[in-house]
Amino acid sequence: MLQRLLPFLSLIALFVGLSIASPHFLTGINLSSVARQTAVINIMALGMTLVIVAGGIDLSVGAILAFAGFMGTRAMESGLPIAAGMLVGLAAGFFWGLANGLLTVRLRIAPFIVTLGTLGIIRGLTLVYSGGLPVVGLPRGFSFLGEGTLLKLPVVLYLLVLCALVTHIILQYTKLGRYAYAIGSNREAAVYSGIPVGFHTVAVYAISGMLTGLAGMIEASRLMTGQPTAGQGYELQVIAAVVIGGGSLSGGEGSVVGTLIGAFIMGLLANGCDLLGISPYIQQAVIGAVIILAVTFDQLRKRRFEKA
Amino acid sequence: MLLELAAIKKSFNGVCALEDGNLAVQAGEVHLLLGENGAGKSTLMKIAAGMHQPDAGEIRWQGRPVRLRRPAEAASIGVAMVHQESLLAPHLTVAENIFLGREPLKGALLDRRRMERESAALLGEHRFPLQAQWRVERLSPAQKQLVEICRAIHNASSLLIFDEPTSSLSQEETGEVFRIVRTLRERGMGVIYITHRMEELRAVGDRVTILRDGRTVATGDLADFSTEQMIRYMVGREVPTLYERTPLEPGTELLRVELPNASFRVHAGEMVGLAGLMGAGRTELCRVLFGLDPAGDGEVCVEGRPVRIHSPRDAVAAGLAFLTEDRQQTGLALRLPIRTNVTLTYLASLTRAGFLHSRWEARPARALMERLRVRAASIEQWAGRLSGGNQQKIVLAKWLFRQARVFLFDEPTRGIDVAAKAEVFALMDELAHNGAAILMVSSELPELLQVADRILVMRGGRIIKELARPTTQEEVMRYAAVGE
Repeated sequence: MLQRLLPFLSLIALFVGLSIASPHFLTGINLSSVARQTAVINIMALGMTLVIVAGGIDLSVGAILAFAGFMGTRAMESGLPIAAGMLVGLAAGFFWGLANGLLTVRLRIAPFIVTLGTLGIIRGLTLVYSGGLPVVGLPRGFSFLGEGTLLKLPVVLYLLVLCALVTHIILQYTKLGRYAYAIGSNREAAVYSGIPVGFHTVAVYAISGMLTGLAGMIEASRLMTGQPTAGQGYELQVIAAVVIGGGSLSGGEGSVVGTLIGAFIMGLLANGCDLLGISPYIQQAVIGAVIILAVTFDQLRKRRFEKA
Repeated sequence: MLLELAAIKKSFNGVCALEDGNLAVQAGEVHLLLGENGAGKSTLMKIAAGMHQPDAGEIRWQGRPVRLRRPAEAASIGVAMVHQESLLAPHLTVAENIFLGREPLKGALLDRRRMERESAALLGEHRFPLQAQWRVERLSPAQKQLVEICRAIHNASSLLIFDEPTSSLSQEETGEVFRIVRTLRERGMGVIYITHRMEELRAVGDRVTILRDGRTVATGDLADFSTEQMIRYMVGREVPTLYERTPLEPGTELLRVELPNASFRVHAGEMVGLAGLMGAGRTELCRVLFGLDPAGDGEVCVEGRPVRIHSPRDAVAAGLAFLTEDRQQTGLALRLPIRTNVTLTYLASLTRAGFLHSRWEARPARALMERLRVRAASIEQWAGRLSGGNQQKIVLAKWLFRQARVFLFDEPTRGIDVAAKAEVFALMDELAHNGAAILMVSSELPELLQVADRILVMRGGRIIKELARPTTQEEVMRYAAVGE
């Protein structure tokens, strides 16, 4: 039981430790900045949780984020209202998620390969379409999404809570979620049980893509630009968050709560390093070590459970 | 005396697997190790092969106490094990697998030619129908088993342990294994042979040791034991060797198959057996019926209505259930709870407006667990932690939950012990009483003859004969092996 709570306890310990170590940590400004910084990774990680639970992986989410952010802002730049631009961003994410899902299912290629491929394709297309130039001059109201506050709390926090709730409900209380666990746990057995495995696999990627599209719009709103090179390397942070939170890359395991904890642990680590003046070079190494540690503990717990 | 295991104790996390394991093998004998599932046979043998360390007790090799800390140490004194599940590297060749872990070198490089030459010699010597260069992933389960045997023979010079080597083999192939075992004995090697199949015993064994609940309860010359005695020692009580089934009056026709290679009917309350040698196409026929492989021309009717089955989904919708041979691969999600596994086939019945109600889910799962007498701590226990017999019951529960009416059982008693077999047959009988139609594939001919109302014999991918009850093993085998 203690080990099951370990990620959560580490998060609390990290929080308390940082409160003591730095006087700047426990301030409204710093905490809402942590919330804003982690929201993007966090929302993407929610989608990735679905994908990983179903035994898949999506390496193209960083590229999708850039594509969606770019398309959404381009739409606003061309005169569409903010809400419509947002929808364009979401649709762009959904589209690529759908493409990833269909390619894995139809071509029967490992998702690692498919999304490695689409990662390149989407990045390339974004650059071609943008000419490498960011979209600027966005309507002022757009910054409300990423930087605004509502009742003293960052708007992104509400969005994160909403997305987390929806994802949690999908995973735990719908057929889609149940099938995701079943497919990730034993794809063959799912097929033999008469489950439409292909459809549900595609659905999981599409939802993940849409959440990534939303994250892309938040990222664009925070920078007030549609940056075609945004989100480089985000896929690894996103996967790390899921894995730290107990997700298994062999499928069938993972939860929304775990992923949120994983993403916040990484966010706090980065923030703590900044506050304590630790070089960002070291930060990378620390996060890398945390990933290995987290998974090691998780494995130990499971091994003990399995033998019992 | 080659190897002696004396008063071996072993527990895993406080659960006792072996209480008092004793076994002594001589050179030049085939020693049978019997016991129900969970009696501790595999644990005892893994200790002999250096895979587990005993908590207490003594291991003596040729009279001297030894410690076997690793399989490599066991191999160095000449002990090796042929495993029940395949532990081969699928992407490597037969030769590479045989030499795995002890590759011959030429300088710093692998001596591939020597590896293949020696493997070919070994395969030829034992007359195995395999080529050293074949990749293991393309081999059938039976062929893989032969590679396992080859690897063990190659590794061990004194004592070979077979853990149920014939459970995936046909009669013919089983004969092959026996021939190998006898050759090894003639060369003066010791052989320990774990098996479930009582009818195999007399053909190979010299002496026998019987385990029950982690203790050695009997040991001696095989000739001194009758089969009934051995079963009594294994189970510790009188278990009917055979399941008594009273055939029912067949009801309405539930399944009608008119395919180019197979044409037959199964009625409600009927249990039809599908016999044949390994590779005769029995599993393939089930796969076609269940929509896993294309059917080609022909017609399948369920409950009198023609159905088009292109996928397992269609098959399930039509009321079919397929209980596969390989429960772990295709039957269960091992790391999900029993509850989830059971309800997976029919989640639609548990959803309202798209949402699952876990409270509705627990009740039927629990009820089915009780009805099928599944031994598990709770419905939240991982399916992977159940014994083979209980896993089989969970797979059955899945299809009961789906309210399937036509059941395809592929080797339903494979790898489960005598008592669990009787239980599985009782459940199948109960299904039939409740109006289900059952098609059952089994390589255990005596079992099939006991429970089936009719027997369809397959040979070369076709159903060539239908035999009514009563029939004999000889008659079925004649059609299966010879065709006439």
